[in-house]
Amino acid sequence: MSGKAPLRIIVCLKHAVDESELRVDASGHPILQGAQARMSAFDRNAVEEGVSIKEKAGGTVTALSLGTEDVRKSIKEALAMGCDRAILVNSSKYLDALATSYYLARAVQRAAPYDLMICSEGASDTYDGLVGPMLAQWLDLPFMGYVRRTELRGDGSLQCELAMEESVEVVEARFPSVISVVSEINSPRYPTLLQIMQASKKPIEEFPLDSLAPGPGEAAAPEAAVRVLDTTAQSMSRKKILFEGSPEESASKLLEALKSEGVL
Amino acid sequence: MRSVLAFSESPALAAEVAAGAATICESLGGGFAVIAVSSETPSPSNFEAVADAIVEVAKREGAQVVLLGATRLGRQVAARIAVKTSQGVLSDVRDLRVESSGGAAAMLTGVRPVFAGKFNAKVASVLPCVATIPSGAYAPQGASASSTQPPATVEIAMGPKAPERVKHIETRPKPKNTVDLKSAEVIVSAGRGFKNKEDLVLVENLAEALGGVVGASRPLSSDLGWLGEERHIGLTGIYVRPSLYIAVGISGQLQHVAGIKDSKIIVAINKDKQAPIFQVADYGIVGDLYLVVPALLKAIETQKAS
Ligand SMILES: Cc1cc2nc3c(=O)[nH]c(=O)nc-3n(C[C@H](O)[C@H](O)[C@H](O)COP(=O)(O)OP(=O)(O)OC[C@H]3O[C@@H](n4cnc5c(N)ncnc54)[C@H](O)[C@@H]3O)c2cc1C
Repeated sequence: MSGKAPLRIIVCLKHAVDESELRVDASGHPILQGAQARMSAFDRNAVEEGVSIKEKAGGTVTALSLGTEDVRKSIKEALAMGCDRAILVNSSKYLDALATSYYLARAVQRAAPYDLMICSEGASDTYDGLVGPMLAQWLDLPFMGYVRRTELRGDGSLQCELAMEESVEVVEARFPSVISVVSEINSPRYPTLLQIMQASKKPIEEFPLDSLAPGPGEAAAPEAAVRVLDTTAQSMSRKKILFEGSPEESASKLLEALKSEGVL
Repeated sequence: MRSVLAFSESPALAAEVAAGAATICESLGGGFAVIAVSSETPSPSNFEAVADAIVEVAKREGAQVVLLGATRLGRQVAARIAVKTSQGVLSDVRDLRVESSGGAAAMLTGVRPVFAGKFNAKVASVLPCVATIPSGAYAPQGASASSTQPPATVEIAMGPKAPERVKHIETRPKPKNTVDLKSAEVIVSAGRGFKNKEDLVLVENLAEALGGVVGASRPLSSDLGWLGEERHIGLTGIYVRPSLYIAVGISGQLQHVAGIKDSKIIVAINKDKQAPIFQVADYGIVGDLYLVVPALLKAIETQKAS
């Protein structure tokens, strides 16, 4: 495509359990039934980046998510933030990262054409950071991960600054491509009441999971190879002694305590 | 042939990954570890070629597990290998072992943090599979001592140079790590309770007075950039285990706390009595850090003088 053509952007997002609200039962297991969920924190950065690129370059942003009907809550938030339309891949099946990314890729192919897929660096519940690069592999597209800045080039490519551990790498790839963004790339906007109301009029298309299954002659869909056998609360018991007097009093009490702990 | 293939582009993690591979071999019952090395430095431009070369070696060596470091690049390599071979990936796992129960096929199991470290999950994948381990999961020295056979080393052969889809433009190295948080005995960390970058002199002075180093919550090191990213503590940064950890103006969200759980003593200074950090602290001072830290500095000085 030429640099001037409107961009077709797809943002992937996950409706994830809100870990800060997650309760523990008597046996130390999480109470997932009825647990509160919301858009995974960093996915809001992905939505923001998609919408702000659209605002600069023109085009459309489609929010894409996979899950049960609950996912609509996060999709609506993305629409209120400025996505134009959404695709919900209905699935109540347990899928691992490989299977999830496979069906997302199939959905992207059905929604084609597209120029740029944006994911976040990792989901708030597992923080695997796998779905983005896997999506790129299924679609056989270039992948740029941990993007902290994007810049559209005139020649139909995107230049990105990647926040790696030891360095910042500046790289470039032609559209179509897949990127994952880090949280410092932007500050997600808060939609106005009007935008929230308007979002409910935007179209949400449904792709049932079965409709994305491979046809005869196509390679089989991956099975979920990874299983969660058990989830238990991490224990941490601390003394929780609070000093609430004047700063001077608290300071000397703290020093005394630390001395008797043998850490000073 | 039953083997475990180990690879990490990070020199710091390579020995740990090798130790992890040796441990898995033991539970495989007579497997051997193969350490893959690459003559080309893996990068965001060539990680696909690296992954493809690893797939080739894994096939040749009959690898049951490909073990990688859970670095930013390592995760991308894992993703490509998994899609190419249709294998599962266990991310950020420790305590890896091969288990089989009641005639079912053997699985690789491991333990990893989920829900921002509030919980641990025991996860399993059918073999063969890919797994990534975080730094600190395996002690490097354990490798040769415990393994039945010294690991073999193979060089991965990158295929004929294909035009790279991700073009490298420029590398901007970060300032060399000047601080070693992982082995620090005392860490004083700053959070968003600080109003200006200049005010961080307070934590610097406190760290110095206690013979410690300065750490940071993610907003300070990443989003605001007031402190270097090598000081970023937590789920997406460094896991620390000092004798004394002092959190100044840090709310104590799960993701930060995940990185400090192994501290011997945790101290929190926060003006909000309801801040979650007080729930995970041994000692807390409820108050304004701009008053409390100077008071602490003064008290330490007085004590030193007497
Ligand atoms: C997937 C994911 C991964 C993440 N990984 C990490 C990670 O690895 N590490 C990390 O740190 N965060 C991480 N975060 C971010 C984390 O959720 C929190 O947003 C972050 O830790 C908050 O940093 P903070 O405590 O400095 O800031 P805030 O939460 O804003 O807290 C500031 C605190 O300062 C106190 N305060 C304000 N003024 C004063 C004063 N004058 N005196 C005393 N106290 C004062 C306030 O009461 C408040 O408690 C992650 C988030 C996600 C979604």
